[in-house]
Amino acid sequence: MVSPIYIFIIALGIGFLLSLFDKAGRAVAMTIFYGALLAMAFISGQWLLHLLQGAEAEIITTAGFQPPFSINLKMGLLEAFFTFLINTLGFLAGIYLLPKFKSQKIYGMILFLMLIMGLNGLVMTGDMFNLFVFLEITSIATVSIIAIEKNLKSISAGFKYVIAGGIASAFYLIATIFLYRFTGVLNIAMMAETLNVASSQAVFLSVFILMIAVIVELKPFPANGWALDAYEAVDSGVVAVIASGTSAAMLFVFYKISPLLNNTLLLTAAGIGLATFTFSNLLALKQKNAKRLLGYSSIGQIGLIITAYALLVRAGYARNSEIVMLTTGGLFINHFLAKAGLFWLSGVVEKEKLEEWSTLRNNPILLFAFAVFVIALVGLPPFPGFFAKWQLVMTFANQGLFFWIGLILLGSFLEAIYLFRWLGKVLKSDLKAELKAKISQIFPILIYLLAILIGGGYLSRLINQGTSLSILYLPVLFIVFLFFIDFLPVAIKNTLVILVGSYYTYLIIPQLSGYRVMLGVIFLAGGVLLFIPGYFKRGKRTGFYPLAVMMYVGLAGLLISENTLQFFTSWELMTLGSYFLIIRGKKSEPHALSYMLFSIGGAFVMLFGFGILYYVNGNSMALSSLGNIESMAGIIYALLGIAFLTKMASIGLHIWLPGAYGEAEADVSPMLSAILSKAGMFGLLMLMAAIQTANLGSINLPYVLGWLGAITVFIGNLLAIYQEDAKRLLAYSSVGNLGYILFGLALMSHMGWLTSITYALNHFLFKALLFLAIGGVVYRVKTKNMYEMGGLIKKMPLSFVSVLIGIIALSGVPPLSGFAGKWLTYNAVLEKGWYLQGVIVIIGGLIAFLYCFRLIYAVFLGQLKDKHRQVKEAPVWFLIPQVILIGAIMLFSTYPAFILGPVGKMLNDILPENALIWENLDAYSIYGHWNGFLIMMITGGIFVIVFLWLYFLNRKAQKVKQFNIVYAAERPSRPELTHVGYNFFAHYKKALGSLSQPYVTKFWNTMADIFHSSAGFIRRIYTGDGQTYILHIIIFIVVVYFLTIGG
Amino acid sequence: MGFEPIKILYALGTIFIIFNVGMLIQGIVRKIGARVGKRYGIRFYQPYIDLIKNYVMRSNVTHGVMFYLGPVFRLTGGLGVFLFIPIIYGSQYFSNFAFAGDVVLVLYFIFFGSLGMALGAGEGGHPYSAIGVSRGLAQVTAAEIALVIAVIGVGIQYDTLSITEMVAAQQGGIANWTMVTNPLLTILAMLAFLGAMGRSPFDVVLAPQEIPIGPPTEYHSTFLGIMQTNRSIFPMAKTILFVNLFFGGATNWIVLILKIFIVYMWSVVVGVVFPRFRVDHSIRWWYKYALPLGIIAIIVTTLIAG
Repeated sequence: MVSPIYIFIIALGIGFLLSLFDKAGRAVAMTIFYGALLAMAFISGQWLLHLLQGAEAEIITTAGFQPPFSINLKMGLLEAFFTFLINTLGFLAGIYLLPKFKSQKIYGMILFLMLIMGLNGLVMTGDMFNLFVFLEITSIATVSIIAIEKNLKSISAGFKYVIAGGIASAFYLIATIFLYRFTGVLNIAMMAETLNVASSQAVFLSVFILMIAVIVELKPFPANGWALDAYEAVDSGVVAVIASGTSAAMLFVFYKISPLLNNTLLLTAAGIGLATFTFSNLLALKQKNAKRLLGYSSIGQIGLIITAYALLVRAGYARNSEIVMLTTGGLFINHFLAKAGLFWLSGVVEKEKLEEWSTLRNNPILLFAFAVFVIALVGLPPFPGFFAKWQLVMTFANQGLFFWIGLILLGSFLEAIYLFRWLGKVLKSDLKAELKAKISQIFPILIYLLAILIGGGYLSRLINQGTSLSILYLPVLFIVFLFFIDFLPVAIKNTLVILVGSYYTYLIIPQLSGYRVMLGVIFLAGGVLLFIPGYFKRGKRTGFYPLAVMMYVGLAGLLISENTLQFFTSWELMTLGSYFLIIRGKKSEPHALSYMLFSIGGAFVMLFGFGILYYVNGNSMALSSLGNIESMAGIIYALLGIAFLTKMASIGLHIWLPGAYGEAEADVSPMLSAILSKAGMFGLLMLMAAIQTANLGSINLPYVLGWLGAITVFIGNLLAIYQEDAKRLLAYSSVGNLGYILFGLALMSHMGWLTSITYALNHFLFKALLFLAIGGVVYRVKTKNMYEMGGLIKKMPLSFVSVLIGIIALSGVPPLSGFAGKWLTYNAVLEKGWYLQGVIVIIGGLIAFLYCFRLIYAVFLGQLKDKHRQVKEAPVWFLIPQVILIGAIMLFSTYPAFILGPVGKMLNDILPENALIWENLDAYSIYGHWNGFLIMMITGGIFVIVFLWLYFLNRKAQKVKQFNIVYAAERPSRPELTHVGYNFFAHYKKALGSLSQPYVTKFWNTMADIFHSSAGFIRRIYTGDGQTYILHIIIFIVVVYFLTIGG
Repeated sequence: MGFEPIKILYALGTIFIIFNVGMLIQGIVRKIGARVGKRYGIRFYQPYIDLIKNYVMRSNVTHGVMFYLGPVFRLTGGLGVFLFIPIIYGSQYFSNFAFAGDVVLVLYFIFFGSLGMALGAGEGGHPYSAIGVSRGLAQVTAAEIALVIAVIGVGIQYDTLSITEMVAAQQGGIANWTMVTNPLLTILAMLAFLGAMGRSPFDVVLAPQEIPIGPPTEYHSTFLGIMQTNRSIFPMAKTILFVNLFFGGATNWIVLILKIFIVYMWSVVVGVVFPRFRVDHSIRWWYKYALPLGIIAIIVTTLIAG
């Protein structure tokens, strides 16, 4: 074993001699420099391994004296871990900075070594004063490195940094002096043993000053302008060390002094952390400069870690207990790796503006790394931050800290806003510049990319002893595999996905029971079916398959989840996968963002709900416990309900949907609309099944949901009739249809649920059909505006038939399957007695006729445009699934009993009323009856007879050309003018007046405005002036003090 | 109840009867209308002559498959609606194919013909057809609000959706008719009837002065003949539905024809008195007056049904 003291010896020795070596040539100096960094990393790494195997911690004392008479350096497990992180970061950052070191004066390398050594010292020292020394070394080294860049911004930033650091050090020193006076020792551990914070006001004040000095180093809001300026101005390689390395060391310092703090001070620290987290993320909303944005994010993350740690310790968890390590450690590692990676990327991109980062698209690996880091920061699976946040929320909930959870989730949501906006810009903005990435820059980024991926996997195993997420392991491995084979052409990958998907479906479906079977068929069998159109794409379709599969893995995971963690992880995987699918559309950047924000918002609300569930149900994560909640059931259900309604795009939460569905690629829209939307339905089904048995208290959730569903049907369908864009029309129609599903569920009766499931199944069939058919048309005619099409029946007859079948099934006109839904709705409404809601639902259904006709008329009928005279039928890969779907619709229409019979039996477990009785093909309810088979036969029979009669009379009918119409004996003008397609239902809009106004969109826009303008207002405190920043720090300290003693 | 082949024969019989009733009522109504307007008017059998003329016309032009099928959809819709309604209460010969479904089926099958026709007209490519369809659909869906509420109301009152049972509940004299037991609902239904009949003030769809005749602009000869056939069956079917739901149905043909005539005349009388609504006015009218009235009617019905 190499003693840890050699870390310092190597750093100091080499640092001292480096300029001498430089005389022998830069190559020699650099070899020795990197050798030194590597050796330091090696020493701490070796200790880490050693200590992990259970060895004793090493304590080094000066000159053999024991504390309190000597300085002691400790190398325990945590110290080894932190120094290892810092030293590897140092080595990697050194590599990153290689070109710079090569060309600059030797001082850069020397200072860099000093900085890393200082950080090691901060971690290892156990002595108050010695800590001060290392603080100073770090500070001076940092400032000098910052100032080595010879530009004004950098120098001024360095100056502000030194002033702020100086103030913090001064306070630290004062506190140390007083504490030494009170305890007679400088050793932190001994001090903690003897010190009684409450013994006098003076002691309290001293500890307060100590804490605040450390916290100021951790950049609390609002006393952090100096740090932000530094993050923005300093070279990327260096700032990565400051943001990740220095923060790591300072967090560890906070960890070390935390035994001195009593509960009051811990609460203060937690409060500061939370304020920092929330406000940093709020202010970042307005930020356009990438590095400053990362600065805000860094500061926010550190705030979150402080809050988590302080509150957990305050709640009585041991400082090094597993829970504390899992949560704060997970958050920390996540931040450490992601932030360093992102800062390094900023050096590769060398662009200030967020949208200019789109140059990353030139390098798929770096783009992947960027996406991974951003997603990890937001806290999505499968990265460490996700699991840490989950554990944090659960633990906080366990302690009843709901207020804190709420604010943490709010802050996380704000963070998600700007990070996903950035990701969207990177993925979609115009490519303007080339990307010149040096291998020395890429290498460290890749190492951290790998580390964060492994870290996620490792942490997922720690939570709940690693067994609970096993359902997702194999599928996630398949996703990883798909990433590796992403260079293959579409045909191979598509075939592979279809084969594996079919096999997976075959495996999963038999494991399901009850209503899950129905959804399993929609999610998985439907999913496989909707991969078929994928063959029409040529080339590689980079990134499509892993992410599409991720969505399906999430969906399947929902069905087989048994506990809340599995459910939530699956939910987030599904969301993440679908986000990347949506954003593939040409113009979908803002819509994908809006989708993601609603989804993440919903997911956080769900997380909150699961947290409360965990609290009230005696730390049970079982999903089955939803059904027997002792208290707070109403709140839990409401929270979970909101989350599910977000995915179902119920009115008020629907504004993301039209853009997301409408702008997605041709084969993605059907996946989203037909399949993904049912995820929300599944959640609600689960919830409603639980509500069935639970004590709800005073909240009548189903009643509220019933009204919500009814209004959703009406508004969704109404807005659909005003769309000019065919895909948006279908998207709004989905809103309406999901409203039916919601309404049916809310009825809480056997008949209602049967209605709901019938609608879900039907919606899956006809909406997949319609989106595929329209997708094929749009693919051919290159426009989505219906008024620009027309007369396409002559060119695309098969697509026409699909749309025809689709709209008949949608509108509910007999003999097709949509009628089953309508019939059940009437029965369910009469049975329940919700007449008014029922009337609104049915009126909404009537309005659907309008857009159904418009869709088929404006696209396929009317006048063919000149530019479409050469258009061909949609690609065969689009038509194959359409034929299958039409077959399914016909089967369902003719023999509804074959499907609704078993569905009724599935529901009997939950709602055993058995309201619909099947006698062969006749369906009876207490109100009426209906026979799908006979209706089909009678309608078909009459149709054939009438047709034959017409044909007999009219067999010689002569087909005429396009413009041969009765037009006042004139030639009609251009098809554009003769085709009545634009603003087709203007009269309806006029008649309904204010009902057709987009109030919801206005509401959300106003909300966004409020957030953005308050962010814009508050961030004016950062004037860029050093004196103001000092004032901030002083005021901050005073205010925090008064808040602490006042409360 | 179930399907037996012989029922097809009975159904053909009822169709034959109602077709002739429809033709004659058309002729008579036009005659009455002319006399009210101090004109001599057509002969009462003129619709038969027009129909035959259309069927034997030689000029036959089609704009495509959907155009060709439009009238087929239209007549199938009309016949279907008719056949799904039990015609004579208590008669096994004239209850048609009502065993296939209840009033909800009829309510939604009404759209079958309209949609098909609209599609055919759409392929015709005439701008006036499209305008007519746009107006027609918008107005029909608005007018259906009243119809749907009325039907739900009847459903609530008699606790059934089966038309036969609704008629059964009204047997035993005029005092048992929905018209008497629930006048508010009947008023609403009669407004809905105006919307369903497409006469003035809700005749902007065909609007001969503005858009020659709207949707059927391109249709002629045999196509028009089929549609004319439908025009003598479909309105009768709808009228029978109202008779069944609100006026006690009928136990024999004479009573039925009498009731059909009286109910039908309601739309004729209103039509001569009131001028045409513009389409946005008419939509707004349904939302502004019929919907609130419907809601009140539903509440009242709930109280009645108790």
